[in-house]
Amino acid sequence: MHVVRGIRGTLQPFWVTLRNMFRKPVTVQYPEEKQQLPERYRARLILTRDPDGAERCVACHLCSAACPVDCISMQAVEAEDGRRYAAWFRINFTRCIFCGLCTEACPTLAIQVTADFELAGRDLLKLVYEKEDLLVDHCGTNSNYNFYRQSGIGVSAPRGRNPGEAPPADVKDLMP
Amino acid sequence: MITLTADIVRSTNKKLTMPTLTIDNQTITVPEGKTILEAAEALGIVVPHFCYHKDLGAVGSCRMCAVTVHTGPMPGLKMACLIPVEEGMVVTTGDDASATFRERVGEWLMLNHPHDCPVCDEGGECQLQEMTISSGHGIRRYKGDKGTYTNQDLGPYVAQEMNRCIQCYRCARTYKDYCGGRDFGVMGSRNRVFFGRFKDGMLESDFSGNLVDVCPTGVFTDRTFRFKSRSWDLEQADSVCPHCAVGCATIPGGRLRELQRVCSGDNPQVNASFICDRGRFGSGYASHPERPRQARHKDQNISVEDALTLLESQIRTAVQQHGPEAVLLLGSDRASLETNWLLQRTAKHFGCRVPVLNAHARRHQTAQIAAFDFSDRLASLEDVRNSDLVLVFGVDPLAEAPLLALALRQMVRKQGRVLLYDPRPVELPCEFDHQAFSPAGLQELLENGGVEGRHLRDLLGQAQRPVIVAGADLLGPLGLQSLHAWASGASNAERSCQVYPVLAGANSFGTALLSLPEQDDLLTRLESGKVKALICVETDPLLEAPHGERFSAALAQVDNLVVMDYLPTPLSTNAGLFIPTCPPVEDSGTFINNEGRLRRFRQVIKPGLSLARTGAGEHPSREFTLITPGGDPLPAALVLQRLIRQEQELSELHRHLAEDQPRLKELPTITPGAPGKRVKPAVTRPQKTDKLPEQPAGTFQLVVSPARYGSDLFSRFAAKLAPRLTSTRLYLHPDDLFERGLKDGEKAVVETDFGSFRLTVASRPGMAAGCALVENNGDCPQLIPGAGLSYCHIAPGGADE
Repeated sequence: MHVVRGIRGTLQPFWVTLRNMFRKPVTVQYPEEKQQLPERYRARLILTRDPDGAERCVACHLCSAACPVDCISMQAVEAEDGRRYAAWFRINFTRCIFCGLCTEACPTLAIQVTADFELAGRDLLKLVYEKEDLLVDHCGTNSNYNFYRQSGIGVSAPRGRNPGEAPPADVKDLMP
Repeated sequence: MITLTADIVRSTNKKLTMPTLTIDNQTITVPEGKTILEAAEALGIVVPHFCYHKDLGAVGSCRMCAVTVHTGPMPGLKMACLIPVEEGMVVTTGDDASATFRERVGEWLMLNHPHDCPVCDEGGECQLQEMTISSGHGIRRYKGDKGTYTNQDLGPYVAQEMNRCIQCYRCARTYKDYCGGRDFGVMGSRNRVFFGRFKDGMLESDFSGNLVDVCPTGVFTDRTFRFKSRSWDLEQADSVCPHCAVGCATIPGGRLRELQRVCSGDNPQVNASFICDRGRFGSGYASHPERPRQARHKDQNISVEDALTLLESQIRTAVQQHGPEAVLLLGSDRASLETNWLLQRTAKHFGCRVPVLNAHARRHQTAQIAAFDFSDRLASLEDVRNSDLVLVFGVDPLAEAPLLALALRQMVRKQGRVLLYDPRPVELPCEFDHQAFSPAGLQELLENGGVEGRHLRDLLGQAQRPVIVAGADLLGPLGLQSLHAWASGASNAERSCQVYPVLAGANSFGTALLSLPEQDDLLTRLESGKVKALICVETDPLLEAPHGERFSAALAQVDNLVVMDYLPTPLSTNAGLFIPTCPPVEDSGTFINNEGRLRRFRQVIKPGLSLARTGAGEHPSREFTLITPGGDPLPAALVLQRLIRQEQELSELHRHLAEDQPRLKELPTITPGAPGKRVKPAVTRPQKTDKLPEQPAGTFQLVVSPARYGSDLFSRFAAKLAPRLTSTRLYLHPDDLFERGLKDGEKAVVETDFGSFRLTVASRPGMAAGCALVENNGDCPQLIPGAGLSYCHIAPGGADE
């Protein structure tokens, strides 16, 4: 029995090799040739804009809190219309592990992953992205979502005018 | 409102019974009168709640703390915060009935919530977030419209977002009931209930910042901290407020090398869970733009190491050439206990004469009476809150010890009585009897008594828990010694008449306790002409002690002026050798407060120029270095230890300190954030007291009072307090004003022993006649409170140029 098994084990690999010699190769000649990546591939992060063209990020610090490697830092400031936004926003891609936890934590859908994985470089400082490097001029996924239309604090619309809100109460009215 | 058990027991002298009850299969015995919620908290069982607050009590308005009671005549769903415990009670918190009830309550409290947590400053420390999650509510089912409100502008300190309100009434109970504010309250009816002012405007109360701490949601947030940081990103530590000598527990928070906010800590013996606005919003001194951060020798920046080498050689040369008198080390009541003690050690190390621990000689002398004579009868603020009679002599609590004013309000709310004797038109957030006595009249009352004095002593004798509050600045050593006699006379075998002295600086008590009888005062030693090197540690006698002109003149004979400080004071700019040090938030140490309580504070942030300044609002520098910009300053205690080449851990230092000072035996056992222990009592130390000067004809008694804001150096260098600053005026009694032919708003020239000043006159009906009241807030830095009784001439100042 050992002899039969030995012969079969010797010939089978040759047969597999022989069979594949006449197939089309799967290897892609990167970087000359690019591969189509899956839609949900997680690589370089971006900051998207809402449908009205304003920055979605409200600098709530949830992404930096969720980040397991502490590669996100920011400072929030207030605009004249009461909008909260990031004065500066920094992602250190030398540290980022592309886990995507920040995108899951983001309550305004501002921070999103893209399929751009080509971040290799010789200068580490070039991988420290500031807000202007991260901000894009499209909505990414969920193109209809605008955080300020959902939260009733009177930024995108006057107070009490967002959908599903009653007009402000007259607190000096004593009618039952 | 539930009254705390301790008070019930004390006022009725009933025998204390201790019911035993079972909560979630755990048995606990608590004092009678405690509620189920408090008993559960003691067991470590969390019952969700909003309206209940440790120091405010419960009102049962939020319905969140539902638990099931299984025993008694009326078993069923109860509000844990309202039901007092009974013997044999059986309670469950996690059963279906109460858990479902709490989930429904969580859902209904969220009905009108604007769902804006990402842009809300409360996010991360929000009780509504925590309780909603703990109650189990997740998905909104209600389809109707959310109710909304229009916000009010409540001034530069408190921001309002009414849409987040859950109507727990904590704010109104804090502002109106606890703090006695009058311009804030509840408005509206049914689902329009609104908490705010009648119209827009800055909140008037000096305790308005507490709204931020007590609000369980984001209705009231700190406007000075708006969008600066998330609570989880803050570097926080238990600290002590340095603004006055009450020693309130605070929790400062910093991020990116900037002190960003101050929250109230919790010390049941001192401030309960509240602090005043001066402490909360007066934190800008640590990141003041002009704060000196570089060691300097004659206008040349040098390293701290070089500065220390230079200082050592200066001290050694002066001692060798001119003897031990030639070096004068000057401590301070805003420096920590450790720093002041190390100064004494430094003096010993170099063989120079003992240091002077406070530039303000009279304040120092008064503090010694508090630290020695009163040491066995010192009252805590908790004692004041539980007292039934408080006699206040020479204190304007809102200016000198704001939390004392709150404590007085609490005792008045419990039917206590406050009698106040002070020349100023004192305001308090409670009912009190004010007798406007001039400073000389006050001394007369305390020394000889008369009818009024006899009446007061009788009252003290009859009271069950009497407390005397003694203002050190106004009464001086003479007044405090008289009050010591009063307190001893009113004490008996059953109870002692306690004294709460009101001192000036955060560590006045500590410097007094450490001081040696032979130290002498600053001006005497300087004017002897023997001093060749003056080393001022965290003090500027020009701003913190009277007779600055004498100090300046004496300074001319000093060869080397060395200053160690963290504030941009005039002296630090003029110093020949300057060494930067750290304010309390960047240092760990100890203060001893008014009541002789050791209060430890821990380092919150490390020194350095804040990112907001180095980055100018932009992102942090892309150049990476290992050096922190502006990170040179070292804690003064460390500077002194390096100077004498004995660096020790803080715990070891405390051990040595406790060995050296038997009264500080407890120091090594105290941790930051703990209530702190009292220093051991001491024997009376004899003090020489000067006779009061005779009043020249046609003069007024000068009363220099600290202003509520801007009197202590910390708040003078805090930019956030600018909206609360007032300009200095000369206040006179209306009769005096009329007699001098002056009118409100006119200018007058006041000639004092400290210089002459041209000020706007204002009449104050509530003040003592024959007095000229000037508030010290930086406009007239020569006028320092607590300089003793002096007289001034007032003449019309003519029209403006």
